[in-house]
Amino acid sequence: MKNIIIDVKKLNLWYENNHVLKDISIEIRENRVTTLIGPSGCGKSTLLRTFNRMNDIIDGCKIEGNVIYEEKNIYNKSINVVELRRKIGMVFQKPNPFPKSIYENVAYGPRIHGIRSKDELDKIVERSLKRAALWNEVKDRLNESAMEISGGQQQRVCIARALAVEPKVLLMDEPASALDPIATAKIENLINDLKKQYTVIIVTHNMQQAARVGDYTGFMYLGKLIEFGKTKHIFENPEKELTKKYITGSFG
Amino acid sequence: MNKNIFEAGIKSSFFIAAVSSILIVLFIILFLFKEGYVSFENIGIINFLFGKEWIPTGYPPRFGALPLIVGTLLVTAGAAAISIPLGIGSAIFTSEIASYRVKRFLKPMIELLSGIPSVVYGFFGLIVLTDWIRIVFNRPTGESWLAGSILLGIMALPTIVTVVEDSISSVPKEYREASLALGANKWQTIKEVILPASLSGITAAIILGIGRAIGETMAVMMVTGNSAIIPSPITNIFSPIRTITGTLGIEMGEVGVGSIHYHALFGLAVILFVIVLSINMISHLLIKKNICIRNIMLNKNIKNTIHVILFVFILWILVSFFGIYGIIVFVIGVFYHLFGYKISAKIKQRAAFIIISLSVIVVLFVLCVILYYIVFNGMRAISWEFLTQPLKDAGRAGGIYPAIIGTLYLVGGAIFVAMPLGVGASIYLSEYTKKSRIKSIIKAGIDSLNGTPSIVFGLFGFAFFVLYLKIGISLIAGQLILAFLILPTIIKTSEEALKNVPQTIREASLALGATKWQTIRKSVLPSAIPGVITGVILGMGRAAGETAPIMFTATVFSQRYIPSSIFQPVMALPYHLFVLATSIPGGTKNAYGTALVLLIIVMLLYGVATLIREHYRKKIRW
Repeated sequence: MKNIIIDVKKLNLWYENNHVLKDISIEIRENRVTTLIGPSGCGKSTLLRTFNRMNDIIDGCKIEGNVIYEEKNIYNKSINVVELRRKIGMVFQKPNPFPKSIYENVAYGPRIHGIRSKDELDKIVERSLKRAALWNEVKDRLNESAMEISGGQQQRVCIARALAVEPKVLLMDEPASALDPIATAKIENLINDLKKQYTVIIVTHNMQQAARVGDYTGFMYLGKLIEFGKTKHIFENPEKELTKKYITGSFG
Repeated sequence: MNKNIFEAGIKSSFFIAAVSSILIVLFIILFLFKEGYVSFENIGIINFLFGKEWIPTGYPPRFGALPLIVGTLLVTAGAAAISIPLGIGSAIFTSEIASYRVKRFLKPMIELLSGIPSVVYGFFGLIVLTDWIRIVFNRPTGESWLAGSILLGIMALPTIVTVVEDSISSVPKEYREASLALGANKWQTIKEVILPASLSGITAAIILGIGRAIGETMAVMMVTGNSAIIPSPITNIFSPIRTITGTLGIEMGEVGVGSIHYHALFGLAVILFVIVLSINMISHLLIKKNICIRNIMLNKNIKNTIHVILFVFILWILVSFFGIYGIIVFVIGVFYHLFGYKISAKIKQRAAFIIISLSVIVVLFVLCVILYYIVFNGMRAISWEFLTQPLKDAGRAGGIYPAIIGTLYLVGGAIFVAMPLGVGASIYLSEYTKKSRIKSIIKAGIDSLNGTPSIVFGLFGFAFFVLYLKIGISLIAGQLILAFLILPTIIKTSEEALKNVPQTIREASLALGATKWQTIRKSVLPSAIPGVITGVILGMGRAAGETAPIMFTATVFSQRYIPSSIFQPVMALPYHLFVLATSIPGGTKNAYGTALVLLIIVMLLYGVATLIREHYRKKIRW
């Protein structure tokens, strides 16, 4: 049994008067891949965004309950959000590289956090791109614009960019939904490698993907976490009727 | 069959409306060049462009445009130095830092700044600003390059703020999220991601703002002192200066038709026209070729070269204009560059936000000062008599009734001509054409008309309507010139409104067997009407405040009665204000009154336009 790295207790979230997350409690294990599945609008992306407080930038968002990371509630006033986001990185649904070169994209985070030496930056960029399994494809054109490579490559630049700040946890919001099957396969392989060093939490629409990459899986429905457990267990022998129906495709 | 002929007839009348705007542009250009060419031939193009003396009434007269060209460039550069930092700062504040509520308050304030007629700015500059400069810097007179630059800087602000804000808002929110998720704070995100991503929009905004400043006449003419000299030394910001537009404004009214002087003025207008047109073209290219600049900036060598040039230039500016203070600022800058990384991101963010907030405060302060002077002093001049009686004692006493009516006549006539042409053109552009060469030519024509400085319209109107067609200074000449001037505003807003009507509405109507014209009249136009009306009202506001186009074509200073025919001259509020402020000693009190009445009329029009826009924006949601 691996350590618990993020512990969510009785989390409730509202957008204005809309109760989006209801009494969520979930334990995320270190160096494992946790997948969150569920139909559109069930709150899985919102839940993901509570882990690094990306919901803070949305007007009218109200949160109750605890998200414990490193023994502290991240919604505590004393928490430095900037520092938190550095430790809990995020990859978004649509590849969103900055309109800068590939190199500048990956070096963005380290620079922001005060690394100025060119040598060190070069090393970080190379290491991050290698971890994102992109180095061989782009090593000769690091100074080209990241907007001009393929969607799958862009997404891996974004992953490399997130890895460059050395996070502990990587949040991925449907990282492959905008990609073709080949690029998707590459990203999935990558996720499997990443868990050696990182804790990964993935939101996905695609149940096969959840089954392929996940160690643990949570099924969400209408803002509630219906069932959570080992991926194999959830897919082969779900306890709740609702989960079973969703897995077998009867609704959703 | 009949139906087809009818449809074709409709289409061609819209086509004519659209083409007319290019014809007007072409005609103005041809006319300018034809009249201006004579001066190039007589004086010699080199002597004309680089001659150092402009003495048109001397023996022999000398026509060296260099001091005027230099004056124009210096005043504009000063305006840019003021309006670019303030404008970009305010735009960052409204789009990234301000809460929704603060933003809703700030935006109309900045729009208000763009609604103030230029002659009112000039009046404020003449009475208040130049006086401040005289006292604060202890100079014999405040009428100077500095005064012109400050005033033009304020006037160019709204353009810069609006365009920068648009381009910042169009930066995808994904960039913001990606940067924040990497642990960057708000200021780092703005500085490293948002500003670079909107670089082309910012460049375009700067250029558009500069274009606006170069073409401005009335305000500059009233505060720069108008001596045709090159400041000596070149960095003497207290030197009086004269611009091309100012020269046209001062000398056009008293020039002999067909004289070399007359042609030389047209030569100046050609120079001005070419400068403004190329500026506008560059900004259009920049907006379109967004990626292009980005790629240039990716190239390390070019980037470094640009940095070195900027570095030297800024050093020169700081040292030569601000002396010892400049050197201090420069040293601080160098220190920051070398050791700035030791300052924590949090403190940098705080400092940056303070500076940005200051720029907004400055802008609001300026607006308040201008409004305070005009409203407070204007209130004391306004009475029932002031509004309903003709003037007495050269405007020092009596009222401004004929000027109010004259302005309404001018605006009414201009709208009567410009509305059918403008709306027709916009219907043609949005409903009857797809992407084609003709469409892009028409659009280029409209853009050039939009960028043409208002004094050039005045010059053209004077030479063509008043002299060539021998109509004389008359209401109709002013109405037509104003109509040309506001045509682009009307076309652009109406076209925007028509474009916003969803394609499905047209398809639904056509699928029921309606003809094109039926579809437009019954389905498209009704939904676009609020937008079209907004455009028309904005045009009216612009027409009411303009001075330069009508001062040689339509207006006289004093007239006891309201004109009974369109071939008689009229009085108009902006021109009345101009003469009261510049030529009538003791006319200041009534000048304030006139300025306030003019401001109220223009603001009412803009206010109505905004209300209509907001009302329907809430009501119609596609």
